[in-house]
Amino acid sequence: MKRNLFVNLAGVLIAMLLGAIVMLIQGYNPAETYGALFGYSLANFYSFSTTLRNAVPLILTGLSASVAFASGPVNLGQPGQFLIGAIFCVIGGLYVDLPPFLMIPFLLLLSMLGGAFWSGIAALLKKFFRMDEFITTLMLNMIADYLTYWAITYPLFEPRANHPQTPLITKNGFMPKWGNFNTNVIVMLLVFFVIWFIFNRTIAGYEWRISGKNSLFARIGGVKIEKNYLSVMLLTGALAGLAGGLVIMSGPHRFIKGLGANYAWDGIMIAMVANNGITATLLYGLFFSILQTGSLGMELITAVPSELITVLQAVIVLVVVAGRGYFELMIAKIATRRKLKDRDIHPQFIDQNAINREDTKL
Amino acid sequence: MNIMIGLINGMIAAATPILLAALGGTLTYYAGIFNIAMEGMMLSGAFFAVLGSYFFHSWIVGILFGVLGAILIALIFIFFSIFLKVDEFVTGVGLNLFAVGLTTYLLRQIFNVKGAFTDPGIVPIPKIQIPMIQNIPVLGKILSGQNLIVYIALIAVIFITWLVFKTRFGLRLRAAGYNSTCLDTSGVSSNLIRFHSLMLCGILCGFAGSFLSLGYVTLFTENMSAGRGWISLAAVILVSGNPLGIALVSLLFGFADGLGLFLQQSLPSQFTSMVPYVATLIALFIYSIRKKKKEALI
Amino acid sequence: MMTDVITMDHIVKVFPPNVVALDDVSVTFREGEIHAVVGENGAGKTTLMKILYGMQEANSGNIFFKGNQVRFNKPGEAISSGIGMVHQEILLIPEYTIWENVILGVEPTGYFGKIDRQKSRQKVKQQIDEFQFHLDPDARVEDISVAARQKVEILKLLYRNVSFLILDEPTSVLTPQEIPQLFDELRRMRDNGRTIVYISHHLEEVLELSDRITVLRKGSKIDTIESSGATKRSLSQMMVGREVIFESIRKQQKTGDVVFDMSGVDYSFPKNRPLLQSIQMQIRAGEIVGIAGVEGNGQLELVNIIMGLIKPDHGKIEIQGDDFTHASILERRKKISFVSQDRANMGSCLNASISENILMTHHRLNSRFSKWNGIVLEKAQINKFSEEVRNSFDIQMDSTDAEMRSLSGGNQQKTILGRELSLDTPFLLLDQPTRGLDVGSIEYVHEHILQMKDEGHAILLLSADLEELFRLSDRILVLHRGQIVANLETEHTSIEEVGILMLEGGAQ
Repeated sequence: MKRNLFVNLAGVLIAMLLGAIVMLIQGYNPAETYGALFGYSLANFYSFSTTLRNAVPLILTGLSASVAFASGPVNLGQPGQFLIGAIFCVIGGLYVDLPPFLMIPFLLLLSMLGGAFWSGIAALLKKFFRMDEFITTLMLNMIADYLTYWAITYPLFEPRANHPQTPLITKNGFMPKWGNFNTNVIVMLLVFFVIWFIFNRTIAGYEWRISGKNSLFARIGGVKIEKNYLSVMLLTGALAGLAGGLVIMSGPHRFIKGLGANYAWDGIMIAMVANNGITATLLYGLFFSILQTGSLGMELITAVPSELITVLQAVIVLVVVAGRGYFELMIAKIATRRKLKDRDIHPQFIDQNAINREDTKL
Repeated sequence: MNIMIGLINGMIAAATPILLAALGGTLTYYAGIFNIAMEGMMLSGAFFAVLGSYFFHSWIVGILFGVLGAILIALIFIFFSIFLKVDEFVTGVGLNLFAVGLTTYLLRQIFNVKGAFTDPGIVPIPKIQIPMIQNIPVLGKILSGQNLIVYIALIAVIFITWLVFKTRFGLRLRAAGYNSTCLDTSGVSSNLIRFHSLMLCGILCGFAGSFLSLGYVTLFTENMSAGRGWISLAAVILVSGNPLGIALVSLLFGFADGLGLFLQQSLPSQFTSMVPYVATLIALFIYSIRKKKKEALI
Repeated sequence: MMTDVITMDHIVKVFPPNVVALDDVSVTFREGEIHAVVGENGAGKTTLMKILYGMQEANSGNIFFKGNQVRFNKPGEAISSGIGMVHQEILLIPEYTIWENVILGVEPTGYFGKIDRQKSRQKVKQQIDEFQFHLDPDARVEDISVAARQKVEILKLLYRNVSFLILDEPTSVLTPQEIPQLFDELRRMRDNGRTIVYISHHLEEVLELSDRITVLRKGSKIDTIESSGATKRSLSQMMVGREVIFESIRKQQKTGDVVFDMSGVDYSFPKNRPLLQSIQMQIRAGEIVGIAGVEGNGQLELVNIIMGLIKPDHGKIEIQGDDFTHASILERRKKISFVSQDRANMGSCLNASISENILMTHHRLNSRFSKWNGIVLEKAQINKFSEEVRNSFDIQMDSTDAEMRSLSGGNQQKTILGRELSLDTPFLLLDQPTRGLDVGSIEYVHEHILQMKDEGHAILLLSADLEELFRLSDRILVLHRGQIVANLETEHTSIEEVGILMLEGGAQ
């Protein structure tokens, strides 16, 4: 546990150091830049609640990817499932109007349904035609992108707007806000606890974890692999869809062109850097949100383009993952050295062999 | 007739970047690397090609820069996956995102624009008119007058086929994929072979990227590889690496793309843009049905 | 006087976290001898040779080759010095032809790195003739027999002018008739002046073939002796450290009702290649039935069919009268305990914790481990159960939360056995339950199997080790080319008789 924390912190620090070097080369002041970055995302309640709100889709898509990868299915379809979830939510919000206490759960369920529908297609293609989900989900991402683009350009188009977008959804479907604190964070935390519980404390979660590590062993142990595959695909699709729905309900309240672009691969990236751990996904999701939210401030204050953060994120992923492997290697080396020392220190170990040798000569 | 010729030329243009990237992918496929970084290599190649062409007013420097840009990604891939032994999938995904970040960041830093960069100063890669052939009716308009990179791609198909199946490098390359321990114990470092295959893949993806930004169009837009790297990966998987098969499959994707453009008159552009991805799904579908039948026959 | 070729001096090798694989081992190989290295599974024979060959790095110690200190960082360097190794698992490219495999790495080429096929084939052909290997250079390796593949490996080394040959358990993949031929070839090579190191744990072979023998036990060298003075008994005592008497410890016991009933099972794959034909067997409560057969005669398919991993073309499987032919794996597990020969992939999950490994299958069959209608894990019960298994099977571990991979092979097997035997099912399927274990663990496993028999379970035991089958089984069925060719009472048969049946099938 401590080891893990150390590797992650060290990896993040090294990556940020690399970022600092890049800034120096380009003539920026790294301290000032990072100061602006963290200041903008953490300094006060207002900025922190913005960071929290922005963390919601990152964490939910991250959980989606983490649960999928840790259980076996290589679901890379979060971007597409996100968009379909969002469009389902918008459709519900445009054509149905209920009091808020019904409307909000209704829209949340609808967006989960949308995401699950999209991941379900990939799951069925695998089940019936053994088409690998890792390619089909990718292709479905692109298709979802164009499909939603079409939907907001034609059938759901808002007539007065000058670029493709839908009208606002019903006010009853807006996530309530307390000051700048958006309640989508509460939904996300609830979901996090439920997922953590399912994954770590239930029979199904146990089966998923073991199948993800060794599916043959799980299968011969009586685990129904195919059924679990389907439930994991549907669940992770629903998580990504929920992320899409929550973005609509807490943000623009409508589907604007390019909505998902910002979150496209972030979930997958977060899952990878978090080594598919549920809690680690929450933390990294929050951290990436700090970076992304702060990047705007960084650009405003120090003129470092916010795009630098995209590069930094990828570097963090690579460095942390590489560091993890390297660290394990180091630990093995230390263990070897310790064992070698043990041999020299404990004379009886060698004596025992000497005695054995004498034995056999007789 | 002109529509037909236009359609075919559209097909060829659409197929070229996929073909080049897939040829690169086939080398790493044979070497046993799960390489999904073609997307990033292509994107980086496309950006640096524009950079080189714009600043040096030369398409040759453009291609050179494009290739170097793709090799940069290949080198990072090598560093992480071969040297540090990081999971190839994670490395690939990380690098694809890195390429997106890097190109948008540099677009901002160097050209001071967001989204897209276009300028009359970017010199495109020329089209090659082949004497004699260009005068043949109909065929001349297809066989001649294509972009230089199209011809390079064609030569690459033949070269890669020869390289993989006839040479010492090819024998070792395939051995690295089939059983790398066997290759190592035969006295050849499988890591070195992997290194070479990734470098070659980088070069080919560099050409693919240069074609995207200096041939297909003359501009750079954010994320302009648009999943072509993934499609080329699907193409490699579909034909299990065979370079000639890849040429055919790429043409098929090109056809789907061209068909999309053709259909634009009757369908919203969003649907026609979907065609290559739907085509990939359909191709995978047919592949799986055929595989099923084959297995049933044995 | 023979000169020393290679001296390995005070070699130490540690596998993290805490396995001392080689503890200060020194051994000298002389020119032109066949030198056997013997020891139990896990004694360090292969590790020692891999260090010499540059596949693994020693933590301390030196290697001298013809008087000069050397350190090979990779096999390629060893090969160019004239040292070659044939591994236990055959390292060839099945998709390549024989000549392609032989020349890989030292290819004759023409312009631009193009391979000179003509020259390559001819050189390989010449070599084949010279050593009388009777191989077709154009045959693909995947199409030739295992014995032929081994020859290709040797050929590959001879092609590189190797004068020091290491063979790791070469006979483990051969049928008994093929062994004398291999020995002839090895002797011929020795007589040509080559040095041969022969790793084995088959003492008879070693005594027949070798000039000198080095014995390893648990990572330490016991001694190097001349074979002429050694006997099987003295060697086995050196190997194990005490006298080992594998005698039958079966008790006569009344058997009960038929528990496991398999009838008319056929299986072909592909369609025209029958792998199992009309398999018929009945196992009663309190009975152990052993399956003997050379590997690859249908054992794998038999196990997979019983477990439901593949479906038979015809036939029926019943357990206690219930039809299991089409049952799901989970249904089967209610009546079948299963110990797989593939410990790392099928028998356990190495990167999960020990208690997670122990919980498998129980989590669905025993309501004790879940609450809320079988939805939520009952942690306290799981921990208690893991401790119970740990204690009753005497598994050496730090904690049940440690990863499975941190256990030694013997303790992993005990963990698997503990899980499966606690299922307390009427039928047990044990596939090579002692493969790769040391003598102590083997005895332990055997005791537990016999105890299960006493408790009235029906047991089907597959083993490549005939002594094990004779020690435990009441009846022995011989599997040959997918057919049961004999059904013998252990009392009324002999290892020799079973051996002949395994090789030649029935009396047809």
